[in-house]
Amino acid sequence: MMYTLSTCPWCKKSKNFFTERNIPFEFIDYDKASKEEQQKIREVCSAHGESIAFPFVIIGDDVVVGYNPQKYMKLLES
Amino acid sequence: MSEVTWVYALKETELADGEKKALLISGQKIALIKKGNELFAISNKCVHMECPLSKGELENYVIKCPCHDWRFDIRSGEFLDAKELKVPVYELKVSDGNIYLKMEGENK
Amino acid sequence: MDAEKRKQKLREMFQRVVDPLGYKFSPDEEIVDFLLEQEVMLEKEHGHPFCPCQGLTGDRELDMKIVCPCIPFHRAHFDAMKRCWCGLYVHKDVEDPYSLVQISRSEFEQMQKEGKV
Repeated sequence: MMYTLSTCPWCKKSKNFFTERNIPFEFIDYDKASKEEQQKIREVCSAHGESIAFPFVIIGDDVVVGYNPQKYMKLLES
Repeated sequence: MSEVTWVYALKETELADGEKKALLISGQKIALIKKGNELFAISNKCVHMECPLSKGELENYVIKCPCHDWRFDIRSGEFLDAKELKVPVYELKVSDGNIYLKMEGENK
Repeated sequence: MDAEKRKQKLREMFQRVVDPLGYKFSPDEEIVDFLLEQEVMLEKEHGHPFCPCQGLTGDRELDMKIVCPCIPFHRAHFDAMKRCWCGLYVHKDVEDPYSLVQISRSEFEQMQKEGKV
């Protein structure tokens, strides 16, 4: 799962990272989401001690905030 | 060469306690502020996006820009969240009930 | 004002803000252009040029801290990354913005605890 913003180039890069590797993923663009969904996403961010910053990528039980291909790779391999 | 001149701004009686006035003096946008018995003159253009600070809220010596809440100390012009940023402050004097500002301009 | 002119105006105003803070626009012109374009759109929609990579909350106090340039409100965190969150600005000594990685807030706080920053 990935929380993203439609205006953020790093979110686009993150989406591309998974698309290029044929790894299926779901995403929600926070800025296009309903108020309820936004509230839920904010709660998830806060629960991880994070600010409302994107991309917010959930791989298994782990979370990577920011565009970080090395970290994505590592988590996907494990 | 820069030339320093004292330019008339306003009559002291035209500014009430806590009041802020936007003035255009020697082509510069100025916010003139009275707090108690003290007078302050700062640039009326926020360093962020040039919003008029004279329309902001004043609390103690801090004025909050009406656009994005950037806060400045009216004594030093300092931006409270990053001291490297400042709005220019102008020296002033009162003579015969008239307020004058010290303006520096290019002597052409 | 058309978008291109507004972009230019934001660039001029923000340059004056970030320069004394030790930052410059990213050398990656393409990303700078894209981010500024998003900010012009965000300004049109919400009234303020918000960060394109941080989310609005509806709480003014929080939202005002992500109006570009938001460096003053996240200084230590951004200094540790040598860039701002969206990468519009980088430290003046940075020549290759792709050598920098985003460090999340919780990672940064952990680094602070460990005395790494």
